Amino acid sequence: EEEEEDTYYTKDLPNHACKFCGIHDPNCVVMCGMCKKWFCNGRGNTSGSHIINHLVRAKHKEVTLHKDGALGETVLECYNCGCRNVFLLGFIPAKADSVVVLLCRQPCATQSNLKDMNWDQTQWQPLIQDRCFLPWLVKVPSEHEQLRARQITAQQINKLEEIWKENPNATLEDLEKPGVDEEPQAVLLRYEDAYQYQNILGPLVKLEADYDRKLKESQTHSNITVRWDLGLNKKRLAYFTMPKTDSDMRLMPGDELRIRYEGELGPKWKEVGHVVKVPDNYTEDVCIELRSNAGAPVDLTHNFAIDFVWKSTSFDRMQAAMKTFAVDETSVSGYIYHKLLGHEVEDVVMKTQLPKRFSAPGLPELNHSQVYAVKTVLQRPLSLIQGPPGTGKTVTSASIVYHLAKQNNGQILVCAPSNIAVDQLTEKIHRTGLKVVRLCAKSREAIDSPVSFLALHNQIRNMESLPELQKLQQLKDETGELSSADEKRYRTLKRNAERELLQHADVICCTCVGAGDPRLQKFQFRTVLVDESTQATEPECMVPIILGCKQLILVGDHCQLGPVVMCKKAARAGLSQSLFERLVVLGIRPIRLQVQYRMHPALSAFPSNIFYEGSLQNGVTAAERTKKGLDFPWPQPDKPMFFYATSGQEEIASSGTSYLNRTEASNVEKITTKFLRAGVKPDQIGIITPYEGQRAFVVQYMQFGGQLHTKLYMEVEVASVDAFQGREKDFIILSCVRANEHQGIGFLNDPRRLNVALTRARYGIIIVGNPKVLSKQPLWNNLLVDYKEQKVLVEGPLNNLKESMVQFSKPRKLVN
Amino acid sequence: VTLLMGGPKLVKCAEDEDFMSAFDKMLAENIQHRSTETVKVPTLDIAIPQNMKVKAKAAPIEPKPESPTDTVNFVLMTRRGNKAQYHNLDIPVTSDLAINLRNREQEAVER
Ligand SMILES: [Zn+2]
Ligand SMILES: [Zn+2]
Ligand SMILES: [Zn+2]
Repeated sequence: EEEEEDTYYTKDLPNHACKFCGIHDPNCVVMCGMCKKWFCNGRGNTSGSHIINHLVRAKHKEVTLHKDGALGETVLECYNCGCRNVFLLGFIPAKADSVVVLLCRQPCATQSNLKDMNWDQTQWQPLIQDRCFLPWLVKVPSEHEQLRARQITAQQINKLEEIWKENPNATLEDLEKPGVDEEPQAVLLRYEDAYQYQNILGPLVKLEADYDRKLKESQTHSNITVRWDLGLNKKRLAYFTMPKTDSDMRLMPGDELRIRYEGELGPKWKEVGHVVKVPDNYTEDVCIELRSNAGAPVDLTHNFAIDFVWKSTSFDRMQAAMKTFAVDETSVSGYIYHKLLGHEVEDVVMKTQLPKRFSAPGLPELNHSQVYAVKTVLQRPLSLIQGPPGTGKTVTSASIVYHLAKQNNGQILVCAPSNIAVDQLTEKIHRTGLKVVRLCAKSREAIDSPVSFLALHNQIRNMESLPELQKLQQLKDETGELSSADEKRYRTLKRNAERELLQHADVICCTCVGAGDPRLQKFQFRTVLVDESTQATEPECMVPIILGCKQLILVGDHCQLGPVVMCKKAARAGLSQSLFERLVVLGIRPIRLQVQYRMHPALSAFPSNIFYEGSLQNGVTAAERTKKGLDFPWPQPDKPMFFYATSGQEEIASSGTSYLNRTEASNVEKITTKFLRAGVKPDQIGIITPYEGQRAFVVQYMQFGGQLHTKLYMEVEVASVDAFQGREKDFIILSCVRANEHQGIGFLNDPRRLNVALTRARYGIIIVGNPKVLSKQPLWNNLLVDYKEQKVLVEGPLNNLKESMVQFSKPRKLVN
Repeated sequence: VTLLMGGPKLVKCAEDEDFMSAFDKMLAENIQHRSTETVKVPTLDIAIPQNMKVKAKAAPIEPKPESPTDTVNFVLMTRRGNKAQYHNLDIPVTSDLAINLRNREQEAVER
């Protein structure tokens, strides 16, 4: 029976035609075992064959070959264990015969008794190579066939896969129907007024919120086993492990989860809790603190379920901020209003008494560019400070805050997008002797930090002037609950105490969205400093600004990573551009801090030249950044850096992505082991992999394959570039991971990400990668030429490194 | 009529980059997940059937100038339920698989 179809392409095509391009040679197509759709093994215009495109985007893993193909109807599975996950399947040939057998990578292909048999275990190769099924297993349609077939772009494939999630029978033609995919209006450089600003950015925030909600609400896990505990504050804690999912979602402390009992051994029960611990290198455990202890089935351990609770709070606050910006003329000064919207305004110099000394008590002496920054900022209503890596951004910000506070212009609001950044700045400001209050979200009160003692909720606990509140607090802590009358009294007392503490602070520190906290509702801040502002989206940055700002200081570095926007549509429309960046484009020159104190001078040269027009000066000497007596084979003794080229032999096998991953992981492990043997402490080593997915693999590889004690490797931090932003390590190993003909360099194409990756190390950096492939990219080509000229492009075994003579590829032209 | 020359060309775009990183992620996660789960598998016992040996040996690979379209015959062993199945496969002489086999055979001859 013909299926009812209404389009030209599919009308005459058999059911087994590739759902993307229509190719239907039985030798070239396979059926997805999950959704029963057929796809071909041709790449078309994309980096992977159509079937692999489908499997990856739909997260499907099994396939069946066509009955009329050379192999007949065959489900691909491990000969030994029946595993059907094609991402794990490969084959090994017989030692002496032309016979091959399908086996899963692990455990079957690694079983030790294979050695004794006629099979050549060392020749195991994955079925998927270079994001394509091996052509002898599923034929690749000829170039001619592919050109004649329907041309489908990666964008269309992506959209179709999205639509299939809702409507599995949708076709490519459905994409063209109106309403399916409308792009939102993109951000502007200048806005007529704050209404237009709100009208453009509001929908983008909404898109991101919807995306976030969809992602979080799709996360539900059953059959969870729980271990119960009691926190120091007598609150109930639940520990559990969540199964790995394929989603991009990362759990953060403070996130809200709902835990439910689903078993038969007790009544149904559910409660909400806040995440206080997330998985790390040591354990996969998650811990939540329950909002209420009441009825928690602590004698039961099995059959629990976990859901994510999506909260709109931060998005609501951004929307509210933009609305206030539009309707409330006291939300910011006229000057700030017009500047933020990109209007021409005459410059204003503020009348200020400049201090005699620009360094602040309790903080390091400032260098000349830092002094210049402080001095300039104090006289201007709007300043941008650009702090390249290691240039003392936080100390400069804290010094500015100190002087602003001393000018007696009212309280200062200090914000940053992330809690970590807020904590760091809070600590520095506290050192100057100013009265600082760190305002935390209620959901994060249980999370410890180095500045916990400055947190509002903790300062209240320690207020001796309020014996009644203290008594009630104690009672609540001990019993877990209060009578309703007591609870009411407790809340009133607490609210008053909070207000009093906040009113008497010189400085209030919180995250950007934290500035929208109801506890700050009645407050006005004429002076606002936003640190790491280049990592905040514009609406996020607006939350602290609209509380009456007359003097605004944005600190950041637009040459490092920008804000994270999950929704691609919103990101494409420009939500991922920070306010700082837009102001730079509008012609506001940032004040740049120019002396870096982090990197060995040999390490800072390249980033300085490429990302900061050579303006970075070194505040540390080579001697200060040389580990004495470190036994490590640097190819040039005075340059603690090298590019470790993957060898030619590996390049041949590089068609198999998995093989390459293994090689890289093994190289990283060898270098790490060498550092550890030389006496470098594991927590001084950082391994950067461009992809989050690769991180887990390297961690696992080191623990299984490392020659030293597992515990040592566990203390080595392995993380993505993004996770290392704002931080430093003594030694950095950068694993470029991906390298083969049909792909770009992905994340490392982004100059800002490369900048961050190259500027984390204090004493030494090693880059592991494939020069031939990387050199196609202009930026990497620059880096490789530089490393080669310095004679630190090397290959061979670690104890016998030799200069690599590999020929670079011609760099492709940068296309914008 | 436009005559298209050459094969399809890779078109770079954000969606394709996303696909590539999703692929890497999926691969790494599947491998990692597999290595942490304890799968009970039968002890390996994969014998090469006698008749296959004969067949494979009967057609020695002649060293001759080769073009990428030349193929070697291989046998792929798969299993359906409890039954082993054998499929004939044509593998290009230029593939790693074919080259490796020929190298090993030559070694055996020289010895
Ligand atoms: Zn599928
Ligand atoms: Zn296709
Ligand atoms: Zn297996």
